[in-house]
Amino acid sequence: MLQSILKSTGVFMLIVIGFILILFLPREKEVTFLSAFQIEADYPFSFELYLERIEDFTDHILTEKGLGEARTGRPVSEEAGIFVARSLKIVLPAFIFSMLLGTLMGAVQFHRRTKFTGKLQNFLSWMFSSIPDFFLFIAIQYLFILMMQHGLPHFKLYGHENWYSFLLPLISLSLFPFLHMSRFTSAALENEMGEEYVRTAYAKGLGDFKALLHMLWNCWSPMMNQAQMVMLYILSSLPIIEKLAGYNGAGKELLFSISSNDEIKALSLMLPFLFIMFLTIILSQTAKLWLVQKERV
Amino acid sequence: MEMRLLSWINKHALFCLGTFLLLLLLAITFAGPYLPFVDRELTTITYILNEDKKPVIPPYPPSEDYIFGTDKSGRDLLSLIILGAKETILLVACITVLRYVLAIPLSFLAHKKWLGTHLLLKWLNGLLSYIPTIIIVMLLAMLPPFLLSECRPLFLLLIIALAEMPRAAEMIKLEFDQISSKEYINGGIAAGSSPYRLFRIYYLPLLYSKLLVYMVTDLGKVMFLLGQLGFIGIFISQDFVQSMTGDWQLVNNSISWPMMMIKAFEDIRGPIWIPFFSAFSMTYAILTFNIFAEGLKSFFTRKVRYI
Repeated sequence: MLQSILKSTGVFMLIVIGFILILFLPREKEVTFLSAFQIEADYPFSFELYLERIEDFTDHILTEKGLGEARTGRPVSEEAGIFVARSLKIVLPAFIFSMLLGTLMGAVQFHRRTKFTGKLQNFLSWMFSSIPDFFLFIAIQYLFILMMQHGLPHFKLYGHENWYSFLLPLISLSLFPFLHMSRFTSAALENEMGEEYVRTAYAKGLGDFKALLHMLWNCWSPMMNQAQMVMLYILSSLPIIEKLAGYNGAGKELLFSISSNDEIKALSLMLPFLFIMFLTIILSQTAKLWLVQKERV
Repeated sequence: MEMRLLSWINKHALFCLGTFLLLLLLAITFAGPYLPFVDRELTTITYILNEDKKPVIPPYPPSEDYIFGTDKSGRDLLSLIILGAKETILLVACITVLRYVLAIPLSFLAHKKWLGTHLLLKWLNGLLSYIPTIIIVMLLAMLPPFLLSECRPLFLLLIIALAEMPRAAEMIKLEFDQISSKEYINGGIAAGSSPYRLFRIYYLPLLYSKLLVYMVTDLGKVMFLLGQLGFIGIFISQDFVQSMTGDWQLVNNSISWPMMMIKAFEDIRGPIWIPFFSAFSMTYAILTFNIFAEGLKSFFTRKVRYI
């Protein structure tokens, strides 16, 4: 238990270092004024410059005892906190929603797998999971705009100020992980069908529902492994969806800070994301150990 | 005869649907430009007069004249999408092929644990399971040596292909691991085959069908990634030109689908049909690839089962 947590922590540290190394590759522009009418812009790229930038960064961390101040004058960490809190309002519900409801939906789908409705559900969930989230988001926006032109009461589709602003991004972000979870659960349950204990459960006279519970309990291990994938998917799509929605969260700011070469800010926004991934992995591993006492061979 | 055909279609329904959609996509891509309603010249419109004789400037929303509407310089969006299909599909196919050309040897080396390749692969996959692909591609694509290079499109192709290459390699490595436990591999080793010969004659032929399925699935994934990159403003066919002020600017000279999303964040608040229809065509392509991949998968498994 402790060993696996320590190992994950080690991997996490290595990945943070790897990310910093990629982030600080030299990419800044150097403008030289040759005369009033002649300017040269150049992007120098050498190993010495790379070393220098990394040294600058470590110096910066050591002297500021943290990430220092942003261009606005406030501490970077404080600013990042605001954006991350805003994003968490989308990320956490999306994660919980897709994990819990996805599992439930998968169980339902498995239960009805031989009926026509089950097959239809299977096909539809498979079909909808092929739809990219950005298209879903634009399509919903377009639909609302057209409906507003035909008399739907007007409300704000963009921004982050309204209490309902996080709903549209949340829906478009959750759809794929939710369907993935549901399909995965139903496939995992199907795998269990051949096991001896299922026959025993039925032979003892337990109903479908009780047997399903037995089977679900045995599926925790592969299902918990999906938590990481679900979280990664949500975090990968978050920046684009936030940008499309004009939702001023950490994802949108991260894109902006990377494209404007503000490495410190990019790091301050990326670290929480990496940490969320780390937490997801640790929590799902712990939950797995706690739920599944013995690993089946 | 008819009955047999029908029952065959019934048995491979998904495969047939996928093939049909794929043929339709290819027909649009290659024969589409010669359709009568496609404006091959992509004529621009400066303005048109409305009923009150007042000039209205483009973009125009979808109407009877322009089914998909027009873009900001008045070009018919439907024609743009049909003409841009060839470039888009070609890019996606190139990236996928490149990815697998690199992934297959790497996965075999990792399977053989040659010079720590398996550790490298594991580390790369660990990194990618933490950091979203799109962030990595964005960080690498903006690096000066690639940004300023003459063959920037080639570098970008390579970066995007490499970005998810470890994932593909890991999948193939698992297949290699599985095959290596089979009895006939021992036969090959006993017969004195070199590792290369083992790879080519004993391993690869068993993988062709699976590789095909993986590759078609990856076509959809690459298309999705290209779409995401389009929103950020990273495209493959872009020229980098130094402007008067000494700044470098990216200049667009391509009509591929992701390119239409370059102004998506402004367009979505106004002419939303421009990003909508380009995203729509991408969705159609992704759906086609996924259905075809799934169809291929069931086609191959059934074939094996009935021998």
